[in-house]
Amino acid sequence: MRVRVDPQRCVGHGRCYELAPEVFGEDERGHCRIAGPEVPRELEAQARLGAEACPEGAIAVEEDEGSRSSLA
Amino acid sequence: MQAKPTPPGLNLFDSEFAADPQPVFQELRRRCPVGRPAPEAGLVISRYEDVLYALKHPELFSSRMGAAPIGNKRPLIPLQLDPPRQTRYRKLLDPLFSRRKMLELQPHVRDLVNQRIDTFIDRGECEFDREFAVPLPSTVFLRLMGLPQEDLPRFLEMKDGIIRPQERDPARAAEIREESGEQIYAYFEGFLEERSREPRDDLVSQLLEASVEGERLSREEILDISFLLLLGGLDTVTATLGCSIAYLARHPDRRQQVVGNPALLESAVEELLRWETPVVQVPRVVAQDTTLAGTPLRAGDVVTLVLGSADTDDAEFPDAQCVRLERERNRHLAFGGGPHRCLGSHLARMELRTALAEWHRRIPDYAIRPGETPRYTPGIREVVYLPLVWERGARR
Repeated sequence: MRVRVDPQRCVGHGRCYELAPEVFGEDERGHCRIAGPEVPRELEAQARLGAEACPEGAIAVEEDEGSRSSLA
Repeated sequence: MQAKPTPPGLNLFDSEFAADPQPVFQELRRRCPVGRPAPEAGLVISRYEDVLYALKHPELFSSRMGAAPIGNKRPLIPLQLDPPRQTRYRKLLDPLFSRRKMLELQPHVRDLVNQRIDTFIDRGECEFDREFAVPLPSTVFLRLMGLPQEDLPRFLEMKDGIIRPQERDPARAAEIREESGEQIYAYFEGFLEERSREPRDDLVSQLLEASVEGERLSREEILDISFLLLLGGLDTVTATLGCSIAYLARHPDRRQQVVGNPALLESAVEELLRWETPVVQVPRVVAQDTTLAGTPLRAGDVVTLVLGSADTDDAEFPDAQCVRLERERNRHLAFGGGPHRCLGSHLARMELRTALAEWHRRIPDYAIRPGETPRYTPGIREVVYLPLVWERGARR
């Protein structure tokens, strides 16, 4: 699984890094930062939870099979 | 067609509505997604999708409102500015209100919460608004700014003069507002003077140090920002505390969930924010002719984004009319969204979680005093009268 964060959309609600702290981090402004797009298998559920929590739809999730993509 | 004014229950400034708004929202979303709920009413946007769209498009829905009716002469920074000007201030302010920064304050907030509870726990009763929900956010504000706690009574008086002047006559109320506004400015100004001589580890010192694109903030800008923090940060948390505790007082089953499982508090606070959405609505001005959900809007139209209605929209929230404290996917708009996302959201969340955790640890079982009815104010749904009772000898 891979995640992408659109910095143009992120406004710093902080829901992603609160709900999925092992996948998403925060920069100085409290906007979302990720170390890299790849998400280890054991964190996939957390990544989905964090992405779905974003009211701005700023986080896209690409499932491995390419079956699921969610950019609101 | 009836020639009646706004139908009762569709008046967003009615206190009956404020006590029980969710059924009205349902009606509003069905009958009036975008438009006037009554011929002489203002324009509202009531569905989640459309409210979120308006929040995210400041080029169409501007925050430039002209002067607010609250004793401020210049636009409130950054609330009444649009990007890109607004963005410059947010770049500076966001780091000062980041979640990380706010968590550093948590131990102090926990102490302040417990000091509050100490003042009434042995009585077995309190009037929640006056004794807890009003003073707590102000004590936190004083701590955050670096102002002395001894100033609380004086500070509360000035704050009330601006936000809720106790005066029926509108002209006199406006005078009180202006006087209180001037007192607050003078109070902040003196403090600013002090901190510029002797900076400390507080927000005011940080604002004095801060710069926007290489330029220091002017005294005027710092005063304007401080004024907005006061207007935006006190009543809103007061209202959310009141709405949350009133809800849990009336729903013992839900309260038991929180008491029995403190880990639930995180999602419970979010769900109460969603369901209660204490800041019911925010205004915008249409910046250019546009169409929303098939309804044409003209440049200059003032529209009300009904956040409370968005937050109870079945199209966004499964089982939206039901309070589920364990709700996982909860993209509520209680803090707004888009570039104006509430600057204080991380502070508010920390305060709410800390206050509700300590309250339920020490006073797990409470009720509204039998025979009494809580009173809500419209606009910002503060529960201005919330008499609570509990068994005495509760925990320390």
